[in-house]
Amino acid sequence: MKVIEVNNLVKQYNGAKSPSVDGVSFSVDNGEFFAFLGPNGAGKTTTISILTTTLSTTSGEARIAGFDVDKDARRVRERIGIISQKPSLDKSLTAEENIRFHAALYGLYGYRPSFKLMPKAYKEQVTQLAEIVGIQDALFRPVKKLSGGMQRKLEIIRSLVHTPDVLFLDEPTQGLDAVSRRMLWDYINDVRNRYGTTIFLTTHYIDEAENVDKVCIINHGKIAFCATPDAMKRQIAYDPAPRVCLPSLEDAYVEFLNRDKGAA
Amino acid sequence: MEITVKTTVIGTVGDVKKPSRVFREISTIWAIVCREVSVAFKSPGTLIMSLAMPLVMMGMIGGNLTQNMADGLNFDFGMFMLVGMMINMLFMATSQGVATLVDDHEDNFSEEMLIAPVSRYAIVIGKICGSAFSAVVTMLGTLIVGAVMGITLSFGQFLSILALSPLICLAAGSLAMLFIGLIKNRKAANLAVMLIIMPQMFLSGAIIPIGNSSGLLWVISRMLPMTYCLDLTRAVVYAGTPEYGAVTLFNPLVSITGTICITVVCLTVGTFFYARSEKDR
Repeated sequence: MKVIEVNNLVKQYNGAKSPSVDGVSFSVDNGEFFAFLGPNGAGKTTTISILTTTLSTTSGEARIAGFDVDKDARRVRERIGIISQKPSLDKSLTAEENIRFHAALYGLYGYRPSFKLMPKAYKEQVTQLAEIVGIQDALFRPVKKLSGGMQRKLEIIRSLVHTPDVLFLDEPTQGLDAVSRRMLWDYINDVRNRYGTTIFLTTHYIDEAENVDKVCIINHGKIAFCATPDAMKRQIAYDPAPRVCLPSLEDAYVEFLNRDKGAA
Repeated sequence: MEITVKTTVIGTVGDVKKPSRVFREISTIWAIVCREVSVAFKSPGTLIMSLAMPLVMMGMIGGNLTQNMADGLNFDFGMFMLVGMMINMLFMATSQGVATLVDDHEDNFSEEMLIAPVSRYAIVIGKICGSAFSAVVTMLGTLIVGAVMGITLSFGQFLSILALSPLICLAAGSLAMLFIGLIKNRKAANLAVMLIIMPQMFLSGAIIPIGNSSGLLWVISRMLPMTYCLDLTRAVVYAGTPEYGAVTLFNPLVSITGTICITVVCLTVGTFFYARSEKDR
């Protein structure tokens, strides 16, 4: 079953001379780990913004779990979570207050003025999640005093509190150290395996997309290629030595972008 | 590196019953109100400014007006101005609070609210009600400055104004949304707040009686929500006094209807602008 369907999507920003997303079509199956790759300015974040209902379409159609992102935005929002490129935390609140606020927005728990007053289930859940991503000591510190990596981890906890069907990760590991990156991916993979969460990933660390189910490359607002990572690797004329293995996804990615540039 | 993931964690959430839409909307409004109050307490500078502003507005402007304008009026100008200034401060502080939606946009925090499955009205109403906290603090500051100047209200009169303050803050915030909804940077938002407040302070009768206004000024005064809020408040505060006729413009029913109508229109249009400007880029 397709959980994300995008058909001939076009987005031209007000005042822009050309569309940022120009007739993009692709689909993502339920539970799939999907990588949406492309260079800076290719249209990745624009596409994610449309799919997460924060940006209108110029034309075309996008659906999440069968709901149109323009017409049924509320139902779409009930089913998605996002970790965006730019943190969307309130830096004057503590880490826990940000999570509490999020839980209240999704109606999971009524907001109470302090952590101590929150229901036991909430307190246990937040404490456990904080332990998993390693921010238990920072839970009651103001976000502005947390490192970039800690803030990222906090966003991860927050985005998963309401167990979304589709989790959009827009360059989620940007600014994270290697250990934190590994921890994050282990956790996201576990969530995915356990709950069948569909992951929609954009990243510039192509190695992070090695194990995805499907890759789409977007360049200049158009889809340049869409297939499994293996199929993508087999397509290129790269000849590694020794010949027994395929090139890396990053090699294939760069090759496709070069081809696309040549074609343009 | 070994990672231990507790199996119960996400499952706990999954077991939570799906919340009703109404609960989610109310929960959102309440959460935003609590956030605004929490942020106000965490920035003492803002609270201090909330208390210092009445010194300038009531102490200096009001004091000067009292000394130079009170003669020849058939009512106590000090009392008239105190009530006007209290309502003016509610409008000013609420508008400033609503303007922080622009800060939320610049800090990307608005994305957190806009991606949530809640209506834009819940976000805006939460923001307005949250801003009302600082506004009431500012209003109390005005009352204190007034007392220092020898202008006082009875406890009952004060409670009446306090009871009306949620409606007044809602009217102020809704008017602010008309402008703030379309603005995306802090400088412009600050200018917009001044643009909203200054004309109202002089044209609505907050500190200068407008009973004799005519022509264009008369028309403008009838279009401003503060005119109706002020008149309603004065109708309550001056009820049963000989000065009632001299300080009020309309029947209280007209004032309350005017306040509600303008609030509903401004809130609807302002929220529409806000939602559209965030999405239609």
